[in-house]
Amino acid sequence: MGVTDTPETASPSPHPGSAEPSALAVAGVSKNFGATTALVECSFELRRGEVHAIVGENGSGKSTLVKILSGVHRPDSGTLHIGSEPVTGLASPAVAHRHGIATVFQEVLAIAARSVLENVWLGMEGLVRTPSGLAERRARVNAVLAELLAVPPNLDAPAEELSLSQRQACCIARALVRHPKILILDESTSALDADTCERVFRAVRSRAAAGMSAIFISHRMDEVTEVGDRVTVMRSGRTVAAGLSREQATSGELLRLMTGADHLADGKTRLSIAERPAGAPVLRTPGLRLREQTAPIDFELRAGELVGLAGLDGHGQDAFLWALAAGPVTVVDGGQERVVTSPWAAARRGVYFVPRERRADALFSGMNVGENFSLMTIDRDARLGLIRRASSSQRLGRFRERLGILFSSPTQPIDTLSGGNQQKIILARVLAAQPRVLLLNDPTRGIDIGAKRDLYGALGELVREGVAVVMLSTEVDEHIELMDRVLVFREHQVFCEMTRAQVTRDRLIASFFGQRVDSHG
Amino acid sequence: MASRLGRSRIPFALALAIALLIAEVVIEPSFAKPGNWPGELSVLAPFAILAMASTPSVLSGGGGIDLTVGPLSTVINCIFVAWLIPHGWNGLESVVVLLAIGAAVGFVNGMLVAVLRYQPVVATLCGFFILAGLAEKIAPNPLPLPANWTTHLAGKVGPIPGGLIMIACPLVIWWLLGRTSYLRALYAVGGDDASAYSAGIDVVKVRVLAYTLGGLFTAIGGIALTALIQTSSAATASQYALIAVAGVALGGTSFAGGRGGMFQSLLGAFCIYMIQQLLSSANVSATYQQVVYGAVLIAGVLISTRFPRGFTVRRLAT
Repeated sequence: MGVTDTPETASPSPHPGSAEPSALAVAGVSKNFGATTALVECSFELRRGEVHAIVGENGSGKSTLVKILSGVHRPDSGTLHIGSEPVTGLASPAVAHRHGIATVFQEVLAIAARSVLENVWLGMEGLVRTPSGLAERRARVNAVLAELLAVPPNLDAPAEELSLSQRQACCIARALVRHPKILILDESTSALDADTCERVFRAVRSRAAAGMSAIFISHRMDEVTEVGDRVTVMRSGRTVAAGLSREQATSGELLRLMTGADHLADGKTRLSIAERPAGAPVLRTPGLRLREQTAPIDFELRAGELVGLAGLDGHGQDAFLWALAAGPVTVVDGGQERVVTSPWAAARRGVYFVPRERRADALFSGMNVGENFSLMTIDRDARLGLIRRASSSQRLGRFRERLGILFSSPTQPIDTLSGGNQQKIILARVLAAQPRVLLLNDPTRGIDIGAKRDLYGALGELVREGVAVVMLSTEVDEHIELMDRVLVFREHQVFCEMTRAQVTRDRLIASFFGQRVDSHG
Repeated sequence: MASRLGRSRIPFALALAIALLIAEVVIEPSFAKPGNWPGELSVLAPFAILAMASTPSVLSGGGGIDLTVGPLSTVINCIFVAWLIPHGWNGLESVVVLLAIGAAVGFVNGMLVAVLRYQPVVATLCGFFILAGLAEKIAPNPLPLPANWTTHLAGKVGPIPGGLIMIACPLVIWWLLGRTSYLRALYAVGGDDASAYSAGIDVVKVRVLAYTLGGLFTAIGGIALTALIQTSSAATASQYALIAVAGVALGGTSFAGGRGGMFQSLLGAFCIYMIQQLLSSANVSATYQQVVYGAVLIAGVLISTRFPRGFTVRRLAT
């Protein structure tokens, strides 16, 4: 199935002008976070008594939409109707609750030190008010928990004694005990075990039959097609298909709609890193397990290779990249193999890691450009323990040209640089240490396209020089256009591995969702 | 469930308090004489109440702490002695004024922390200096206090020791709040503010109220202090500030928020008081007292974090 460049416009409701009342209607809602656009003119309609699934890949805007509906974020523009009542924006989760909207988030928001009873009943009363009778409270909480869990926990046990699945069940019970008109499950089933998940679906369906509406977000296609009466697809902050019926929403069609077609492409870079012969092995992970129960990962990295790590957020790719940096991992150096168990030991053998959070983990915001650059190589500038600044400035000058870094002088504060130039300084810092293996965690996140292309160009040069690069990326196009091979992570295992020839957008995104697409084109 | 029936849990602070009490009675048998109780309780009262006053802010989480407790109690003491008494405000109206001042200062702390998002340590450290300075300004020299209603609180009110009545005040308020939804909201916010917020709890109001309560309890502590010393004393400001925090920590209340409580802080303060008693009974120089506080605190916090739910004691199954 081919990929169209034009996004599908919102399909009209199958029952135009029908008497079915809408529980919630969103029209033209936009939301920006600083320079980042999260939602563009988003529209969405939820009918009374339906379970409506929303799907989309990472960063498609579905979580932002949910947060607007649950009172966490305020929209920048657009209209919101709850029932027939126009609402200008929900000021807080408490306001959303008053409108009958209860949300369960992906993060398990249980309070470890408090009892099951308190966790479920959380926020049901005002600030200083005599609560309803304890017996009634216990009975209502028990009833909901008995519905969601085969073996309900002791109501007085603290939440920290419960399993993750039980804790999330408490959060779902917290939403259900309010008898919401609209229930939102934002990827909240991923923490549940199979039995509890099935029970939750049953509870949602029975309430939907009684008039409750539900918004259901999941990364599992089988769940979406099983539970959703209708499906809305989002991509890059836009609604690309609204309210598809169960018949329309085959998993193939959903994948096609979720797949964007904007090209990152820089033809030259692609050409420059096209097929190269692989070098000698430089890094191995014999039998690495990310969790006790997961399948081992036998990974071998060769010199001059560019390997992508892909998958939905939180499926183990971060942990894998960190395992390569921090060990235990086998570093191969000129026929010698050595097991390395710490980041500094790895760095001594030429394995360097660039973390994802630029501001928090990689930059020293109180220091200037020159100091940030020379952190890893400062000892080379020292004579008898005295640092000669000219020597490190010279080195910085070389990388300034090579990477096209824009700054006025090495003494300029690092904070005054754009995100792209900051990232280039970090890359220059590592490159100055002459790595044999470079581990990058989403290095192009949040930087503009020009800076991205400079970085791609630099990566192309590096791999031609024989440096091996492993790069975690949340941009599908980077995997398609840059990588020699891509490891797709799912549930803390390598779900599949694709070579440059095998990688297509459809295949890659399908594999994120645990599906295998056999043919392409 | 069944396995818990034959056991009960004793918090570290309670175990320590009992041990110290026994040790003291052995060394100094007169300590246990009922005739000495009112005096002993009136010395304990400012310690205990100020430790309890420090508790709500710590429970409210987000790095919550209230360093103004010590100097605020002194300001309350100085205002009463230097301003209210000379103006003839020596009855019930003075109690209302003092409690209102305490609550107002607590409210300002709460606004700084929860609304303006100051780091609690920074906000209340600023308050610490301002209040300590104010106390010096209001009563630069110790002023004598004529006979007044606080005099009885240092001894007995009818058959009941006055110190006991004052220690009971914050506990009764706390108990009454426990009958409302507020305490559960406070523990929820302290335990995990994101969860509480998403469940519809007004995190800002809960925190502001926690600091306000702390201020109110501090005012009670200031009255207890006045009852004890029967003079104005601007110099005690810093002395009580850190001892109160130490009482909270020794009682086992978590500085991460959401775990612990008023009664634990009372026990913690009691332990500190008992250590003081024990050292003076054993004729240990007063200069060593603070060293011992610190050492006990280190050991105490270590033990209560290792055994957060106290010691399990097997009882005979009945």
